Amino acid sequence: MDHTSPLEKLIRAALLAIVIIFFMFPIAWIVLMSFQTNESILRIPPSLIFTPTIENYVALITGEMRTAAGSLKLDFMRNLWNSVLLSSASVAVSLLLGVPAAYAFARFKFRLGEDIAFTLLSFRFAPPLLVLLPLSLYFKTLGLTNTYIGLIWVYQLICLPLILWIVRGYFEDLSPDIEHAHRIAGYNWFQTFWKIAIPLALPGIAAAGLLAFIFAWNNFVFALVLASADKQPVTVGALAFVTASGIQYGQIAAAIIFSIIPTFVLAMFAQRYLVEGLSLGAVKG
Amino acid sequence: MYDKEKGLFEAFVAGKMSRRELLRATGKLGLSASAAGMLISSAQTKAMAADFDWMKYKGTKLKLLLNKHPYADAMIANIETFKSMTGIDVAWDIFPEDVYFDKVTAALSSGSGEYDAFMTGAYMTWTYGPAGWIDDLNEYIKDPAKTNPTYNWEDVLPGLRASTSWNGVPGGELGSADAKQWCTPWGYELNNISYNKVMFDKVGVQPPKNIDEMVATAAKLTKDLGGPYGIGVRGSRSWASIHPGFLSGYANFGEKDFSVTDGKLKAAMNSAGSKDFHKKWVQMIQESGPKDWANYTWYQVGTDLGAGASAMIFDADILGYFMNGGDNKEKGNLGYAPFAANPAAAAPTPNVWIWSLAMASAGKQKDATWYFLQWATSVEHDLFGARKMDFVNPVRASVWKDEEFRARIDKSYTGYLHQHDVSAPGAKIYFTAQPLFFDLTTLWSENLQKMVAKEIPVDEGLDKMAAEMDQKLVEAGLG
Repeated sequence: MDHTSPLEKLIRAALLAIVIIFFMFPIAWIVLMSFQTNESILRIPPSLIFTPTIENYVALITGEMRTAAGSLKLDFMRNLWNSVLLSSASVAVSLLLGVPAAYAFARFKFRLGEDIAFTLLSFRFAPPLLVLLPLSLYFKTLGLTNTYIGLIWVYQLICLPLILWIVRGYFEDLSPDIEHAHRIAGYNWFQTFWKIAIPLALPGIAAAGLLAFIFAWNNFVFALVLASADKQPVTVGALAFVTASGIQYGQIAAAIIFSIIPTFVLAMFAQRYLVEGLSLGAVKG
Repeated sequence: MYDKEKGLFEAFVAGKMSRRELLRATGKLGLSASAAGMLISSAQTKAMAADFDWMKYKGTKLKLLLNKHPYADAMIANIETFKSMTGIDVAWDIFPEDVYFDKVTAALSSGSGEYDAFMTGAYMTWTYGPAGWIDDLNEYIKDPAKTNPTYNWEDVLPGLRASTSWNGVPGGELGSADAKQWCTPWGYELNNISYNKVMFDKVGVQPPKNIDEMVATAAKLTKDLGGPYGIGVRGSRSWASIHPGFLSGYANFGEKDFSVTDGKLKAAMNSAGSKDFHKKWVQMIQESGPKDWANYTWYQVGTDLGAGASAMIFDADILGYFMNGGDNKEKGNLGYAPFAANPAAAAPTPNVWIWSLAMASAGKQKDATWYFLQWATSVEHDLFGARKMDFVNPVRASVWKDEEFRARIDKSYTGYLHQHDVSAPGAKIYFTAQPLFFDLTTLWSENLQKMVAKEIPVDEGLDKMAAEMDQKLVEAGLG
């Protein structure tokens, strides 16, 4: 039975509307900007009434940008592809390595176990530039400079510790009794890990994977230092719209829309895992 | 017939014939546009190839690190000329300006030989040069075996040649006899007034002639226009806020950033003349500058002028040039004027930013790299960029005399040629070259912000700032 009074409902709705407007306004404004020309965006005072244009999106897709100084070539779609490739491959590799490692750290006590886990976490402590300059020398020797494999390897500095520590907490939260029961039924540890532990920990794994993907997606400096222009992610590529001859606000807005789509879709898809996974792993019983 | 056509193109490349005349003549000969383009390229090659073996490094492959800029676009548009003339292949990496110098610093400091040459500003070479990351180009320029006899280094504006050479001694004069040429000037900008002619006409004012007039004109524009503000200048906490209009006006009064005595540096920003200039500058921003001036960089200053939010700027001339085109609202409404802040000064003294080309010391094919550098900074390429692309400002005196280029600029950019002609003789870097350049100039901008925000009076602020800088200089062994 609903005991809420009409007044309370109204106040709730109004408050909700205010909160939604407050948080969604910047995004909505960017969406509107992406359908305007630079001249219309820079009108004084700004106006919500304009003739929409898709030329910003066309410029991004076709790779031609018109500026005060003529036409410039853009590689934004390539940047977008680089981001998708680097982030997905890095998270996949991290999951492949990190989930079994997290299970091992959670279930088995072995010599130097804690030290190794902490060392992996410490990758997140160092300022990236401090690591990258010496690393670029090693990369040169190993022939990994300007390769996707090299970059995916370096991206493990971002993804692996995150996945390992979140998933480890999650495995520790699961009662080992279920796994013991499965082992008694005659299965080996790998079968138990694969059939019992992973399905139970799936929300945690999904949450960790999504977070790692977002962190990898937002990374900026690794590819900048270690790779050429053709392997740069979207975070570097988006800066190409800020040129000496002017800022292309409309194209920046369209680029933002393009670049939030993958993470947005993933987040929508994994939303229920995200909250459940993070909160369950956080409290130990 | 073919000889007749070739003769036409050679006359064009030598600057003896304008583009319009060339087009008329080629039209009569029935030449298509693409054939004409090919012949221009071939004529450029021939003009440069006299008595010099351009094919010496045929088969070499060079890699460049470039900033996304109209100068780089002009080079890329003409690169086939270089490739066919030398047989050298050229690849490049282009990065956005916002991250460009991070990439350069990372590439140079790691000792990577990936890039043979790269774009740089003269200020950056004060770090790169002493660190041993770039080569002294005098070794090439002065070697007749390595440099094309028609290269004509002396044709590069003298202030720019001097500003890109330094002996590496803190406080050492730029362009001194023992200076090393750390880079070759490529394209540059000097600082003068770009203004909105329509707004000036509406209010009935003329471009100001000195700092007092600038303060008054900006205030009148702000008051009478009822919307746009009077003057746009940079204000963010960065060295880049000091180097354009501010330092150009400051230097016009003969004021210095540092004094050098027996090789020791001392801050000179708290002299009486400096305090007086600072007071006027601060007053101008308080009365007629943008509301959030402390966040203003190149981009905001330019955007406001192009969008009609400001009536004038005292910044790079090419910033005003760019805002007069493209899809800017005020396109076609902008004019340009020289500016000497000091009423007693004979001419403007604009500080400059010079996009230059430097050679990486870690590079493995330096002679071939020098072939590229001398082509990219040659009269022929400079002329190509100035006539056909937005390669402004060209760095060569002969290109500034080219009729075709002058006619193109004069047609759409009122007063641009005049402001440049009047200012070019005094255009150079007015900072003192020293290793703490970026730190101390950023500190200067930080104090300017405090003065504009009325957190500290100008006199007291400058005295404190000078003391702090002196302390830092002593700690670094420079003071």
